[in-house]
Amino acid sequence: MTTTLTPTRARHDDGTGAGDTTPAPAAPPRRRRSPDASRWAAVGFAAPLLVYLAVFYAYPLLRNLDLATHDYTIRAFVTGDADFVGLANFVDVLTSPLFATALGNTAVFTLVSIAVQFSVGLALAVFFRSSFRLSGLLRALFLVPWLLPLIVSASTWSWMLNSENGIVNSVIEAFGGTQVNWLTSPDTALLAVTVANIWLGIPFNLVILYSGLQNIPDEVYEAASLDGAGAWRTFWSITFPLLRPVSAITLLLGLIYTLKVVDVIWIMTTGGPGDATTTLAVWSYREAFGTGQPDFSPAAAVGNVLILIALVFGLLHLQLQRRQEAS
Amino acid sequence: MKTIPKPALAAAAGLLSVGLLAGCSGGGAGGAGGSDAASGTYTWWDPYPQHEDGSDWANRVEACGTDAGVTIERTAYDTTALTNQALLAAQEGSSPDVILLDNPAVSTLAETGIVSTVDELGLDVSDVDENLLAAGQIDGETYGIPIGANTLALYYNTAVLEAAGVDPASVTDWDSLTAAMQAVNDSGKTGMTFAGIGTEEGSFQFLPWFWGAGAELTDLDSPEAVAALTLWKDWVDQGLVPNTVISNSQNTTWEEFLTGDFGFVENGTWQVNSAADAGFETGYVEIPAEDGGVAPAPTGGEFIIAPVQEDEARYDVTRQIVECMTTPEGFVETANTFAYYVPPTEAGQEALLEEHPDLETWVSAVREAKGRTSDDLGTDYPVISEALWTAVQNALSGSATPEAALQAAQEQVESELG
Amino acid sequence: MTNRRTWWKTGLGLFFTVVMLFPVYWMANVSLTQTRDLRSDPPHWFPWAPTLEGYQSVFANQLPALGTSLLVGLGTVVLTVLIAAPAGYALALLNLRGGRALNFLLIVAQMIPAVVMAMGFYAIYVRLDLLNTIPGLIIADSTIAVPFGVLLYTAFMAGIPRELLQAARVDGAGAWRTFRSVVLPVSRNSTITVSLFAFLWAWSDFIFASTLNRNGDLVPITLGIYQYIGNNTTQWNAIMATAVVASVPAAVLLVLAQRYVAAGVTAGSVK
Repeated sequence: MTTTLTPTRARHDDGTGAGDTTPAPAAPPRRRRSPDASRWAAVGFAAPLLVYLAVFYAYPLLRNLDLATHDYTIRAFVTGDADFVGLANFVDVLTSPLFATALGNTAVFTLVSIAVQFSVGLALAVFFRSSFRLSGLLRALFLVPWLLPLIVSASTWSWMLNSENGIVNSVIEAFGGTQVNWLTSPDTALLAVTVANIWLGIPFNLVILYSGLQNIPDEVYEAASLDGAGAWRTFWSITFPLLRPVSAITLLLGLIYTLKVVDVIWIMTTGGPGDATTTLAVWSYREAFGTGQPDFSPAAAVGNVLILIALVFGLLHLQLQRRQEAS
Repeated sequence: MKTIPKPALAAAAGLLSVGLLAGCSGGGAGGAGGSDAASGTYTWWDPYPQHEDGSDWANRVEACGTDAGVTIERTAYDTTALTNQALLAAQEGSSPDVILLDNPAVSTLAETGIVSTVDELGLDVSDVDENLLAAGQIDGETYGIPIGANTLALYYNTAVLEAAGVDPASVTDWDSLTAAMQAVNDSGKTGMTFAGIGTEEGSFQFLPWFWGAGAELTDLDSPEAVAALTLWKDWVDQGLVPNTVISNSQNTTWEEFLTGDFGFVENGTWQVNSAADAGFETGYVEIPAEDGGVAPAPTGGEFIIAPVQEDEARYDVTRQIVECMTTPEGFVETANTFAYYVPPTEAGQEALLEEHPDLETWVSAVREAKGRTSDDLGTDYPVISEALWTAVQNALSGSATPEAALQAAQEQVESELG
Repeated sequence: MTNRRTWWKTGLGLFFTVVMLFPVYWMANVSLTQTRDLRSDPPHWFPWAPTLEGYQSVFANQLPALGTSLLVGLGTVVLTVLIAAPAGYALALLNLRGGRALNFLLIVAQMIPAVVMAMGFYAIYVRLDLLNTIPGLIIADSTIAVPFGVLLYTAFMAGIPRELLQAARVDGAGAWRTFRSVVLPVSRNSTITVSLFAFLWAWSDFIFASTLNRNGDLVPITLGIYQYIGNNTTQWNAIMATAVVASVPAAVLLVLAQRYVAAGVTAGSVK
């Protein structure tokens, strides 16, 4: 039963082939009666998207490149005539003493966030898969964190993690522990903002992974239980492999979204204390908007470095997809 | 199999078209454009979103417009966004006619050339106190008028001090202040709270201590500066101030004070009303300098500036609007609406004291206060400020000693400013 | 299985939900707290001395903002679906030339930081006179959702069983009719999922609203909240109250929609 899923999955070059719900026969190649018409139709359907991408994404991206390769003092920003400095801003950014710190913080923040978000999201998705009473309602309630404006959720976490009057420390002290300076100590600040970010990211992971799970047909599980596989074995040998394409895209998107995170960190610690929670995104934001002297060019340069990092992972994902299809 | 979204989609599309119509007619296109002189609409930006349409402040602004024969379209931004929004608008040639801008940001905008000088506008600023006007002066040119100024002092909780046996009048220098805070701690409360957050607010709150030790902003790692930072660090280490000061904004620190658990709080004139409404009696003393006397405190408060417009004919009306806001009566009205911004002219100050004689301490504090961008620091100030607040954060959180932190700060400033 | 097993799972589910939603409870707690109690040490688990001033302020001032947010959210949903569904169809089923490159571009498109997008949009909107308009904000918010929407639609449309499409083709349907009568209805759950994401992202957007829609007559709720953050004072209970009031309709929407999201994004195509 499981083997019939693979040929049809391999046919789709979008990488998330977990969309098959029935074992489709290995269909003969579709006879294209009018290849040109079908191709034009494809372009026609995709046209709104292409125009949309060109107008709304290309321009900001080019503008960002422009900002990064010129020296935009604020006077130049206003008048529009800035000196072209090539890669000088990038060099400044990469050789700045803050770069290593920011890169390290970004790595820790991002990797820990997506690892935990994904795991918890997956565990919850598996948990909710077997419907029990109230499962629908509870699953919907899990999405509530998503509804809240970031100023509210980040501020709430700030309140809860406050050194003196936060509820978390209050509980710790009630159990006899000592107060932990979650947001004001360089040792724990990064952990604190990561926890808040994980909380914010669980709904997204839960929804996508849950949908992915829904697309694994019940027959697969029935066969497995007939074979005598326990829950754990079923998960590792069947569920997890079948979820691979969905997991890949979830992780990739999670990575991209987490790399861009600014608001949560900014509201909770403004990148501090000192530079303890300054990630690349926060650094970029601070250069442009966080000080009295907006420095748009370095900010744009850091922003571009971020995009490059995300691109590397995107390409990795593409390679993985290709390899999967080839197998 | 139910086919749904169609009716829902239709409903949504219907809503959308209604919205489009509403948006196109109501939202107003190009609200920020200052170039339609013929229509008699002047655009005004200020950082007071808490004063909405219909509030005293909004009505006052509107009235000044009506007096000048035009309609004022007011937009409120939160203060951190205002500078950048102004830059974006200037880039597109759609600057508003009037902006109320936090005083340390004035030189930043002025340097871009998008702000008109008071001479270009035809404004007379001879009455304005020198120390307050200095924040808006670069290279001998003045770029606006303060609409009022506020500064910092130490509020105290009368009951807490009494219970600790502290007489507020005894707080005259750093040692006596620390002793007072210790007494408060011994009586079960916490000595003081302030804002040491990693933004301009942190620098703002640190400056009275910095200047009170005799340090100068041009020399961040002087022994005096180290003494000031060591004072704060010792307070944190000894528990005389809570650990939260590292991330407190000025608002947060005031909220802490309102719980009644603190002896002192470093805050500004804008809390006078809130202090009166607190659940306990409060008073205030000026911030002491290291060895006695009053520490110079930094000036807060906005300047009213007029961005450069292509159509210079607009300046005439703009000038009238500005003048309307800056008469002595106008200043007092601003003071009343706004949490007691002290008028920047002597005439205004006298008028304010007639109405509120209890503000004497604040008025004298403002007279002694110092602009952050004065001493010709201008656009160097933001760079220095960022280095300073980073040093404060690093020292208070234990990542570096005060000496090392300030040294790093001075190095950073020197490498950036050359 | 047996009732006992079901109840055990319900209990565990409730426990997880409570843990997850504790910050939301805290938010509601703060919304009812007086300013002087906000920072008391130790903190109050329950608002023993509640105040309704936050809620009063919200109902007096913020309802138009809520309406605006609702409008913008729905508009974003419509625009996103209008662009993403046909594009997903083209990528998944019409063998679009350069489909893989387009897919990659969509991922890249999501990498651009929001601040960069907002600044770029500002320049475009000033020229097109779209500043401070609702349609302008809708377009800006849709940029958050469209790439993701296309990816989602592509993924799940690719799983539509071939028999259905072949049946339509045998009936003589061209691409458009196939799309309208077969693909779209069958992708109902994808549409709902994409709509949900688009709505939620638009609902909680701040950066675009702040840069592009400040001085409109109608501002969304995320901006409305900032009215409570003056330069010298902050009304926390009002801010949290706004969030609570804003979350209630959206939460209701969520509970209603989850049934469709849950049912698997191509369910309805089988059987």
